[in-house]
Amino acid sequence: MLHIITRKFLEVFFFIVLITFASFVFVRLAPGDPVLTILNVDELSISQEQVEQLREDMGFNKPLLVQYGHWLINFVQLDFGASYVTGQPVMEMIMQGLPATLELTLGALIVMLVIAIPLGSLSALYRNSWIDQISRTLSIIGAAVPSFWLGLILIDLFSVRVNWLPSMGKGGLDTLILPAVTLGLAISSVYVRLLRSSLLESLNQEFIRAGRARGLSECRIFFTHAFRHSLPPVITVFGVSIGSLIGGVVVIEVLFAYPGIGKMVVDAIRQRDYPLIQGYILVMAIIVFIVNTCVDLSYRYLNPELKLKERETSR
Amino acid sequence: MIGILGGCGDATSSSNEGNDEDKHLHFLYNFSTNSLDPHVDTSYVPLRAGITETLVRLDEENLAVEPWLAEDWEGEDGVNWIIHLREDVTFHNGTEMDAEAVKASLERAITENIAMDNALKIDHIEADGYTLEITTTEPFPEFISELVNPNVAIIDVTEDDILNHPIGTGPFVLETFVQGSRLDLRRYDDYWDGASNLDSVIFSFNEDANARSLALRSGRVDIVYRPEVESLDTLREIDGLQVESTATFRVHQMTMNMQRESLQDVNVRRAIDALIDREDIVDSILLGHGEVAVGPFLPSLPFAPTYEEQPTGSDAAVAYLEEAGYTLEDGTMQKDGEPLTLTLLTYPSRADLPLIAQVFQSDAKQIGIEVEIKQIDTPEEYMASNRDWDIATYSNLTAPRGDAGYYLNATYHPTGALNFSGAEEAELTALIDELNQTVDYDERAILAEEAAEYVYENVINSFVLHPSTIVAYNENKVDNWVTTRSEYYMITNQLDVK
Repeated sequence: MLHIITRKFLEVFFFIVLITFASFVFVRLAPGDPVLTILNVDELSISQEQVEQLREDMGFNKPLLVQYGHWLINFVQLDFGASYVTGQPVMEMIMQGLPATLELTLGALIVMLVIAIPLGSLSALYRNSWIDQISRTLSIIGAAVPSFWLGLILIDLFSVRVNWLPSMGKGGLDTLILPAVTLGLAISSVYVRLLRSSLLESLNQEFIRAGRARGLSECRIFFTHAFRHSLPPVITVFGVSIGSLIGGVVVIEVLFAYPGIGKMVVDAIRQRDYPLIQGYILVMAIIVFIVNTCVDLSYRYLNPELKLKERETSR
Repeated sequence: MIGILGGCGDATSSSNEGNDEDKHLHFLYNFSTNSLDPHVDTSYVPLRAGITETLVRLDEENLAVEPWLAEDWEGEDGVNWIIHLREDVTFHNGTEMDAEAVKASLERAITENIAMDNALKIDHIEADGYTLEITTTEPFPEFISELVNPNVAIIDVTEDDILNHPIGTGPFVLETFVQGSRLDLRRYDDYWDGASNLDSVIFSFNEDANARSLALRSGRVDIVYRPEVESLDTLREIDGLQVESTATFRVHQMTMNMQRESLQDVNVRRAIDALIDREDIVDSILLGHGEVAVGPFLPSLPFAPTYEEQPTGSDAAVAYLEEAGYTLEDGTMQKDGEPLTLTLLTYPSRADLPLIAQVFQSDAKQIGIEVEIKQIDTPEEYMASNRDWDIATYSNLTAPRGDAGYYLNATYHPTGALNFSGAEEAELTALIDELNQTVDYDERAILAEEAAEYVYENVINSFVLHPSTIVAYNENKVDNWVTTRSEYYMITNQLDVK
């Protein structure tokens, strides 16, 4: 176990250096820089000379490697710089927005589980029945409907027509319900189908038949054997898609005015606020890494074969 | 699913909606901000929310600069300015606003914000009692009007957390700020210009136009800035909802690349100008929420000239092109066997512009001009470094602080950062240079008019329309709401509930 974690940490260090360098290069190769935003050319009289001067002062004319070197030296000292636009320290900004984004993601995952586990299980158990048909239809609709539209429909229903829930902002739990449900519905369609096919495969395994022969109850067979066996592929997909899930939160954050980091980074990209973009990518890389590590570790728990193999190789 | 949600039906709203006895308003704005630093943040929320004020402000009636925290000022030479402050103003923490405090605030603005340092050109400031003496680095007649800028609002700089909790002089005190989400404001009882009748105001953000319209319909919000245009008819039908639209200082324009061979002929530029069907664009794209533009400045501005009407439409365009030596052959406009094709730049961040480009493209096709539309990302960047285009849709604020100097310098002076036309017209440059040396208000207006006339006569750019700001509010509740053309002043001490 310790050996795995140590190896992971070495991996992550190189991974971070690689990903920050790649993002640094890509962001700076994109046309435009933050100088015009900083000088607020849309409202203030600026001469071309002043634009060039600031570009020089901020080091945007230096070679890319030199600029990255500066960033890396600061990064090693845990100095992530300040936003060009607001002047706030980058990590402070990200840490202010991150809880909201994580809350929203977590809320959506809970909604997803509440929908996907029953629907996926029922679909697999009663294959080709009307329940299966309904859940498959719902999955297709869920995958096809854009999340912002779904969000607007939910706002119209629960905020305008019956006035039960606030449609925007971040306050108590009630402000989380609509955005989390919207996002949860949007992602659950994938997992319903995934869980269904994974369960069908599990239910056809030898050990399920052996269990039935031993006279175990259907309930026990399903929950302790089949279900557990069908989770690894689902978790793998989850591990892979967590990054895109956090990225996909942006639309929901804008719609529900939920102050997370998704929207913050979209603005940062538009304004070419390099330090904030770099900080965001760094934090996201770490989060994705942590989630994937958890996924790896959960395999060992869910799939006893892995432990057996390890024991065999260590003999 | 519905059942699960139903269980939460009686959830009480967590937002501080105020007690029933309280006079309370909820205002919803279309941009969000994570910073309330009045000197840095360009969303200007502290000023818009009534927390901070500037030394001078734009009067909505005459669109001229009027006293606010400053009582009056002198500065005939355009370099040495004397500003007399009001003597009855206090910050929200009770501290008196004297010249020392204002000096510290101005100095922080130009230290923290390089753009303001450039814009104000302040060399040094002396403070004595309630009098400020400010010297600019060069003759700078617009100095006073530049002080309208919300980024030079006056705050108490001795406070710690300016970014989250600025202490200003306005009619409302900030109680809490949730970054990117909302501000809770409370009335400032000692406000110098008469305390507001409102007890509290919520100023919240939502960047999705549909969601803003829905929030108004849900009754949780009283005033919505820029609701979704397509939903206006629905909003109008709802009893008690009022929709207002006011033309702004912004102009959507067609920038002409004067360095292109075909566009060097003024008649070709006139033909392009004549082809723009402004009425149709305002009606079909902005659904009527805009004003047709003739020149760069909103007609209600004191220095907007009255232009001589020019013929427009496709017949006029063809006549101009014939004058330039073009003829219609095989359905295309040609000169010396070369067809007239134009590359038109547009960009998606202002949704109206690509649509304007498409309308223009189809109108040009009618008279045999091939227009190729090119979508770009950041127009300023692209136009400054590439000259392979003929015309570009662009949008500008032309007199954000009630003075023409900014726009004329940035757009038509050879050194201007927004001079994408590449205009170097000796006569126009001389006019702008003279404007930059002229302090007298009326003389400045005359020079600005002459410059605008010159631009119009020579079609250095074409002006399409002034888009409107739309505000929808609950008229059974909201009293004294004013949609200002400057878009600076929103939550004031006059705002009230019925």
